[in-house]
Amino acid sequence: MTKHRTTPITAAELTAEFMRLKRGSVTRRHFLGVTGLGLAAAVAGGRTGSFVREAHAEDLGSQMSLATWPNYHDPASFEAFTAKTGVAIEVNVFGSNEEMLAKLQAGGTGWDLFVPTNYTISTYAKLGLIDPLDLAKLPNYSAASESVRFSNEGTVDGTTYAVPKNWGTTGMAANTSKLKTPITSWKDFFEVAQTEADGRAMVHDYQLTTIGNALVSLGHSFNSIDPAELSKAEELLIKVKPHLFAINSDYQPGMRAGDAWLTMCWTNDGAQLNRDIPEIAYTLGTDGGEIWSDFYAIPKSAANKPAGYALLDFLKTPENAVKEHVANGTPTTDSRVLALLPAELTSNKIVYPDEAALTVLEFGAAVTLTDPGRAEVMARFKSA
Amino acid sequence: MRAFVVAAYLFLYAPIALVVLFSFNAGRNASEFTGFSVEWYGKAFSNTFLVQALQNSLIIAFVSAVLAAIFGTMAAIAIERMSERARLVFDGLFAAAIVVPGVVIGIATLVALVTMLGLINPLIAGVWPGENPPRIGLGYFSVIAAHGLFTMAVVTMIVRARIAGLGRDMVEASGDLYATPFGTFRQIVLPQILPSIVAGFLLAFTFSFDDFIVAFFVSGSKTTLPMYVFASIRRGVTPEINAVATTVLVASLFLILGAHFLMRPRSNKPVEG
Amino acid sequence: MITAALAAPAAIWLFLFLILPFCAMLVFAFGKRAPEGGYQAAFTLEQFANLPSRAAAFWNTLVLAPIGALLCLLVAYPVAYYLAVKAPPQRRMILVALIVVPFWTSLLVRTYAWMYILGSRGLPNLLDLVGIADVRMLNTPGAVLLGIVYGYLPLMIMPIYVSLEKLDLRLLDASADLGARPASTFFGVTVPLSMPGVITGVALVTILLLGEYLIPQLLGGGKVFFIGNALVDLFLQSRNWPFGSAIAVTMVAVVVIVLAVSMRIAWRFAGARRVDLV
Repeated sequence: MTKHRTTPITAAELTAEFMRLKRGSVTRRHFLGVTGLGLAAAVAGGRTGSFVREAHAEDLGSQMSLATWPNYHDPASFEAFTAKTGVAIEVNVFGSNEEMLAKLQAGGTGWDLFVPTNYTISTYAKLGLIDPLDLAKLPNYSAASESVRFSNEGTVDGTTYAVPKNWGTTGMAANTSKLKTPITSWKDFFEVAQTEADGRAMVHDYQLTTIGNALVSLGHSFNSIDPAELSKAEELLIKVKPHLFAINSDYQPGMRAGDAWLTMCWTNDGAQLNRDIPEIAYTLGTDGGEIWSDFYAIPKSAANKPAGYALLDFLKTPENAVKEHVANGTPTTDSRVLALLPAELTSNKIVYPDEAALTVLEFGAAVTLTDPGRAEVMARFKSA
Repeated sequence: MRAFVVAAYLFLYAPIALVVLFSFNAGRNASEFTGFSVEWYGKAFSNTFLVQALQNSLIIAFVSAVLAAIFGTMAAIAIERMSERARLVFDGLFAAAIVVPGVVIGIATLVALVTMLGLINPLIAGVWPGENPPRIGLGYFSVIAAHGLFTMAVVTMIVRARIAGLGRDMVEASGDLYATPFGTFRQIVLPQILPSIVAGFLLAFTFSFDDFIVAFFVSGSKTTLPMYVFASIRRGVTPEINAVATTVLVASLFLILGAHFLMRPRSNKPVEG
Repeated sequence: MITAALAAPAAIWLFLFLILPFCAMLVFAFGKRAPEGGYQAAFTLEQFANLPSRAAAFWNTLVLAPIGALLCLLVAYPVAYYLAVKAPPQRRMILVALIVVPFWTSLLVRTYAWMYILGSRGLPNLLDLVGIADVRMLNTPGAVLLGIVYGYLPLMIMPIYVSLEKLDLRLLDASADLGARPASTFFGVTVPLSMPGVITGVALVTILLLGEYLIPQLLGGGKVFFIGNALVDLFLQSRNWPFGSAIAVTMVAVVVIVLAVSMRIAWRFAGARRVDLV
C-alpha cells in the first residue's frame, strides 16, 4: 500500500521514479504518493477530503460501500462518518448470509465492509474471500474488552478475520392486539401461523433461521443437516407455506403496516418494533432457536479498504457504538460499550433476556452455510 | 365501452399518479402523505449514489443503444444481401436474442464472463511487465454487451421491416447514374430507413434504461438506477426514488414531444409564399 | 465482401454474448455443485434429474403466464378497439401515446406503487372503511396477476390496435348494411380480422412472462414463485450454478416450444383465412 512520505524527494529520485512510471512498472498512484505530488495536487485542488480533515495515513477516497442487514444501523452514524471523513457510504441490505456469500463468490460486489454472522467467518476465510484484519488500523477496537463468547468465531487458526458488531437472538414477534393465543415456542409459532395468523405470518428468506426454527419445533437441533430431519422440516414448511403472508427477511414494513401479525424476528427488529408499537411482543422459543453474533469483515475484493477500515474503526469507537445500539436495539459484545449504555436498554428484556432463556438457544454452525441439503430444502420450500 | 376505456386509463395511471404525489411528500416515509414539499428533489440530486446510478444508467443505455443502432442497421443491410442459408442462421440467432428471457441472458453472461475472465486475467498478469496488472472485471462493458444483444436484434428487426418495404428501383437508378455504393446508401437508402433506425434506437434506450434483471447479474460493482431502486425497496423507500422517477418521466415526455416536433414531416408545415 | 464486413460486428456480438454464454451454461448444466457452492467440473445428469423438484415453479409459470396474457387480452381488446374504431380521430394519436407513456417510468417504481396500493394502508384500508375488514391482497397470486396485467397491458394493446387500425371500416358498414346485428358484425368480421394482432400480443406477452422475475418477487412476497424466481434463487441463495444452468437451459427449451406452438397456431389461422377468402 502506498505510503505518503514526509521527507522531500531529491531530483535524482524524482527522475528515477518518473522513469519507472513511464515504463509502467509503478502505478500513477504510487508515483504520486512517493513524490508527494498527490498531496500537493490534492491541496492545490482545494480538496476537502481526508488530507485536510483528518490526518489519515491513507487516502480514504470519496465513497465506499457497506453490505449489511435491514434496520441495523443508525443513519446518523453514517452521516457523522461522512461529515468527519468526507466519505459517502452506500448501504446495501441483505436478508441472508447465503446471499452475501453468493454475491462475493460471483465477484465484483464493490463492498468495502460487510456484516457476516458468526457461523460464516471460517468459510469466508477458507475460500479466501475476506482479508485478515490489520488490527493496527483499528485503534479504537479493543480485543481485551470483547466477550469471548461472541468474538471467538472472528478468529480462525489464530488470525483475526472479523471483529464483532453486536450479538442477538432469533425469536418471534407477535402483534398481541390481533393474536390472542400465547406463543412461546416454535411449535406454537408454526401452529398459530396456520390457524389464528393464517395469511399473516412471515418467515425469513434465510435457510439458517427458517429451516432451523422448523427443526426446533419438531424437536431437532437448530443446526441439523440430517437428511431425515431436514425432510421433516421441509414437509412442515411446505404445509405452512400457503398460510404465510410472505417469505422475507425484512419484515418490519409488513408488521408496521399491519399486513403481518406474526414473524420470525431478530433482537434488533423486535426491540425497534416494540419501541414504536408496544403491542408487538418479542419472545424467545422455549424449545430452542438461535443466538448469534454479527461481525464486521473486509472483503478481499474491496476497492477502498482504507475507507472500510476507517468506517469499522469509527463504528467500534465506544461513543459511536453506543448510539448504534440505542438506535438499533441490540446487545453489545464490548464491555467498554456496555458501561456506557443507558439503563433502559440494558434492562430491556428484549435486548438483554435473562441468561436462563438463552440456554436452549444454539449458535449457527458453519456446516449449515455450505450444506447442499439445507440449501436445496430452502429453495424447494420457496419454489413449492 | 367508454367507461371501460376510462377505467383502463385510470388503471394505467393510478400508480404513476401515486409516484408523482409521493415525490412531493414532506414526510420521510413513502407510506404516509404528510404534506407538500419539494425537498426530496434536492435530496435526490445531492445523493451521490443515486446520481451515480442515474449516470451509470444513462451511459449504459446511450452506449448500448448507439452500438445497437449502428451494428443492427449494418446487419439489417447485410442480411438483405446474404445467401438464403446465412440469412436463416442470422434470423435464428436474432430471434433467440429476442425471446430468450432476460434472466437467462443475465445468468448465462455472468457464468460465461466469470469463467472467461478467470482464464484471461491470469494470462494478462503473466505477461504484464509491471507490478499491478490490470484486471478485467464486470462493469459497464458487460452490461452494454448483454443489453446490446437484445437491442441490436430489435433494431435489426425494425430496420429490416423498413428495408423490405423499400423499392429497389431508386437504388438501381442511382447505380445507373454511376453513384458509388456508399453514395447510393447515403443519399437514397439512409434517408428512407432513418426513421426506423431512430425508432430502434429509442426502443433500445428505453429497454436498457429500464432493465433490472440483466444488469443485476452482470454489472459487477456498478449500480444502475433500477438496481438502486430495487435495493432501496429492501432498504425502505424514501420519496427520493419517487422524485427521480418523476424527473425521468418528465424528461422523457419532453424528449418524446421534442422528437415529435423535430421529426414532423416538412410537408405538414404551412408553405408561405 | 462488403456484406461480410457489415455483418461482422453483429456476428461477433452474437457469438461472444449469445452463443458462447449459452454453451458455457450447457457445460455447467452437466457439472456438479462445488462443496462451498458454485461450479465444479463433472459430467453428470443429476441436475436434469433434479428438475422435477421445481415442478411447482414450472407449473406456476406455465399456468399463470397464459392466464396473465389472457386477462391482459380481456382488458386490452376493448381499449384497442376503442382507439382504432371509436375514438375521435383528432384525439386518437394522443390517446395512443398515453398508452406508451407509462413505459417511461420505471416498471420497478410503478410496481412498488402497487405494493403500496395493495398493502394494508391502500385498498384494504378503504375496504375497511366501508365495513369489509381484514382483506389481504398483497403477496397473493391475484396480486401477481394484477401486476402482470398492469405491466404488460401496453404491449398487448399495441399489436391489437395496429391490426384493428388497418381494418377497413367499410367492411363493418357493409356488414351492417347487409342486416347483421352489431354483435354478429363484431364476432363475424372485426374479431377474425384482428386475430393476427391478438395472436402476436398473446404470444409476445406469454413468452415474456415465462421469464418474469420482478413482478412475482415484489407482489408475490417470495411466495408466488415463477421459474425465473427459482432460477435467480439458485444463483443468489443456494449457489448451485449447475442446477441453475440446467433450469435455464430447460427454460429456453420451454420458450422455444411455446414459440413454435404459437407460430403454428398463427400459421394455421393465416392458412384458414386464405382458404376462406378463396
